[in-house]
Amino acid sequence: MSTVIVLTPIVIASWPAITAAVAAAAAGLGLSVREELRSEEAVEAENQAEVELENSEVLAQGMALGKELVLTQGEMTIRVRRDERGQCRVCAEGKGHSKQELKQMAEAFSQKLVQSYAYHRTVSELKNKEFQMVHEDVAEDGTIRLHVRRWVD
Amino acid sequence: MAQHDLEITISKTGEVRVHVKGVKGKACMAYAEWLAKAIGQVKERQLTSEYYEPETKARIDLHQELGRGQ
Repeated sequence: MSTVIVLTPIVIASWPAITAAVAAAAAGLGLSVREELRSEEAVEAENQAEVELENSEVLAQGMALGKELVLTQGEMTIRVRRDERGQCRVCAEGKGHSKQELKQMAEAFSQKLVQSYAYHRTVSELKNKEFQMVHEDVAEDGTIRLHVRRWVD
Repeated sequence: MAQHDLEITISKTGEVRVHVKGVKGKACMAYAEWLAKAIGQVKERQLTSEYYEPETKARIDLHQELGRGQ
């Protein structure tokens, strides 16, 4: 053994990179995703809950104004957007759910999004440094485990 | 040739835990610094006995290589 570090991901990405991470997170949860213009249609406050992705910054480059990502599953809708300050926000909407349930859904998706982002960022960096994948799996609790190796002269 | 292994877990909340194996001395910190720059903030760091073992020339070269790649 030599060293162990624990990192808290910082999500700083362009809109296309966020879109890719959202798509990966959505696929993992069986949600379909599409990009559309932000709806001006008002949703009753008790039917929605929004959370802010901590440590996030969505770069404006490559992003059409007013766009958001919409994920749906049955009556449930999750919206992902960049707010005025450049942070990423996740909103869960749906009738027949309590405010608390909607908040939990928004938080659960936010976590999945951060995990997807961290996974793709990590794998991409490892590839750049010519690490080879020895083993990869997903534990029952959803933790992704990677074992990579490289040889140096 | 030296074998460098990384065991990485990405938790449900996105927290990334990296265990650097087979790298002695301060060279292993090059990996830690590289990953921290790429992924995010260092929340916790533990140095184990191997960290205090002498580095080899090969590992110094690795440190330099990682430094150039940033």
